Amino acid sequence: MTSVVLALSPFADGIPLFLDALGAFFRPSTLFGVLVDGLAKAALYVMIASGLTLIFGLMGVLNFAHGSVTMVGAYLGGLVMVLLVSQETGDPTRLLAFLLGVVVVFTALAALGGLLEMGLIRPIYDRPPLSQILLTFGLTLILDEFARIVVSFYGLQPISEWQAALATKPAALGQRHDLVVASVSGLKLFEIACGILTVVVIWAFLTRTRYGLYVRAGSEDSEMAAALGVNVRRVFTVVFALGTGLAGVAGVLLAWDQSWGASVPLAVETLLPAFVVVIIGGLGTFRGTVAAGLLVGLIDATMTWWFQNAIAFTGLPEMTIFLVLVVVLVVRPQGLFGVEEVGGH
Amino acid sequence: MAISPSASGVSGANALASSLRSYARDHAVHLLVIAVLAAYPGVYAVAVNSPFSAEAVALLPRVETMVAVLYFGLFAVSFDFVSGYTGYLSFGHATFYGVGAYLVVLTANGKIPLLPASTPFVLLLVLGGLLAVVFAVIIGAVSFRLSGVYFAMITLGFSQVLYVFVRDWGYLGSNPRDGVAVTGRTEGFEIGVPGVDSLSLAVGQLTGDTVELLGVVHLTAAEVSYYMVGIVVLVCYFAMQRVVHSPFGRTLVAIRENEERARAIGYNTFYYKLGAFAISAFFAGIAGGLFAGYRRSVTPESGFYFLTTGDALLASIIGGFGTLAGPLYGHLFDEGVREFLSKGGSGGGLLPYLRENVGQGTMETVVYNGMTVGETIDVFLNGRAALYVGVVFVLFVLYVPNGLLGTVRDRLILSDRDD
Repeated sequence: MTSVVLALSPFADGIPLFLDALGAFFRPSTLFGVLVDGLAKAALYVMIASGLTLIFGLMGVLNFAHGSVTMVGAYLGGLVMVLLVSQETGDPTRLLAFLLGVVVVFTALAALGGLLEMGLIRPIYDRPPLSQILLTFGLTLILDEFARIVVSFYGLQPISEWQAALATKPAALGQRHDLVVASVSGLKLFEIACGILTVVVIWAFLTRTRYGLYVRAGSEDSEMAAALGVNVRRVFTVVFALGTGLAGVAGVLLAWDQSWGASVPLAVETLLPAFVVVIIGGLGTFRGTVAAGLLVGLIDATMTWWFQNAIAFTGLPEMTIFLVLVVVLVVRPQGLFGVEEVGGH
Repeated sequence: MAISPSASGVSGANALASSLRSYARDHAVHLLVIAVLAAYPGVYAVAVNSPFSAEAVALLPRVETMVAVLYFGLFAVSFDFVSGYTGYLSFGHATFYGVGAYLVVLTANGKIPLLPASTPFVLLLVLGGLLAVVFAVIIGAVSFRLSGVYFAMITLGFSQVLYVFVRDWGYLGSNPRDGVAVTGRTEGFEIGVPGVDSLSLAVGQLTGDTVELLGVVHLTAAEVSYYMVGIVVLVCYFAMQRVVHSPFGRTLVAIRENEERARAIGYNTFYYKLGAFAISAFFAGIAGGLFAGYRRSVTPESGFYFLTTGDALLASIIGGFGTLAGPLYGHLFDEGVREFLSKGGSGGGLLPYLRENVGQGTMETVVYNGMTVGETIDVFLNGRAALYVGVVFVLFVLYVPNGLLGTVRDRLILSDRDD
């Protein structure tokens, strides 16, 4: 009977290796590698999800088009970098091109987000929350198909990564560097730095600026904020613009990462983890999103290591993320840092 | 279909006759729609051979497409049954569709213990539905502790876990990522009375039966599939329609409108929601079984993936959220547009029509920067249905929130009140 169960199990191939792998996993170099890997993933997840959580926290709109915006950002940022960077360009110039890409993408997509909010979402705020989800879902269909048209018009394969954009990465980021006990890839360190920078900037915006105060007041009680003289409508538009801009910036970074890359399916690939991170953290709390990003990133990296070394089940990391989502929602229905009233009916 | 006005004369009993007559009157619209759908293959055949053949081929969906409209329409209807009536967006509904579909394919390949590969298809449909109910009770028992966005997300979470699982589980087939095809069963899947050969007809594009009646009626495999799948969908639709109009169904609407008040009146809303979820999963499982029986293969993307639920959502919004029959029309619209702008063009559609009927000169006229008319069509129309369906979807959310059927019903009810 046991053998039948084992044969049916998707983990069957890995079982003899399991104990060896357990030993290997707890070696310091492995643990350190997994930690860096996890932090890099966490940084990406937080970058992808922070725009989503800002928008939800203030307006209660679960933006399904968020992943598509990231995808558009990846292509747009990739375009800027491909245009500016040639074979001989040195590392500092490549980083400058990246910065320019970030600025261009943020401006363009924030403008797009602002227009979408004013034109499409503003008329339906008083409808049930479902209509806003549906509207943004429709926007996803349009944006994805539009990207597919444009990309294939220029002779690129929409479903595979854009290699030219990947190649604009500075050489230092493509190499591995020895750090403490293990060698880690430069890109991962760069991603961690970007993630920390994003968190600090958003945190400073929310707590140290007047506009951030408006945003927090609006999230708490938008009617009261309006009564106290805050132009809540404008705050809504600005936050939606910021959120979509942030999604685009995350896309620019993803255009450099071999395991993501600019492609049309990137929209779905980023949307689902972003949802998971935002929900686990608790809808609308930025602190929760950062914590959940760390949690999901580290779990993802651990599971990826186990898949590569012991368990021959390809879907392991992806499946674990959603399992974490289900478990967290069962144990704490409002998410790690969420407030119970948010996100229900 | 089972009850027509002429049946009343046969019974002889007046009471029965009058009740049948009133039933027919209540269901006049249903009978009309059924008649139109039943006549469709005939109309299509006539139109394709008429002088307007080219236009008909380009505009009308093929009978093969209509089969897909029926079984996926049933799935969309079952999605609407729980999401539209209770207001709980079941974003992992594709799970139940996939469970039904995978059960059929895996049984036919002899991979399910205790079920022989030759199990009658009708039994498989019911078993698939029941298995989906088991999944629904487990998922629902956990998920209905949440509401709103969290409910949508936890059901999505469950379905994505299962999606990754079937995508990567080697037991299912040699290459589970590309899906599983029926290999262990050469004969078609028969819908009808199990064991009675003369009362069963096989469905499928290649394996389906063809019918010759009195030398007058010739039905192709696609047409036989259309009618047989149609009968199952019809039975399921009426079953759901019955539930919706029962006190149980009214309670679901009460939950959607104001759950707290429904609870205050004394309804244990948890069990009502779970019941609705299970019933809806049952019919979604049957729809999945029909899909697998007709196509003889299933992929993780067509079964468990969240965009499959998205298609049902699309159909529900365009057809009318919370109107049971609406999603069927919504999906007809969706499939119609997709086929009209399809890439292959094997079943008609815009591109082959233009290629044949617009002069070569027009097609090669340069519009802009060396781009010809033909190329423009190729880039912006050919296979781009998702773009236009998306635009229509957004317009519906903004301006027609009640959908096609919901708006028509509102108009009719308003005009009734004016009388």
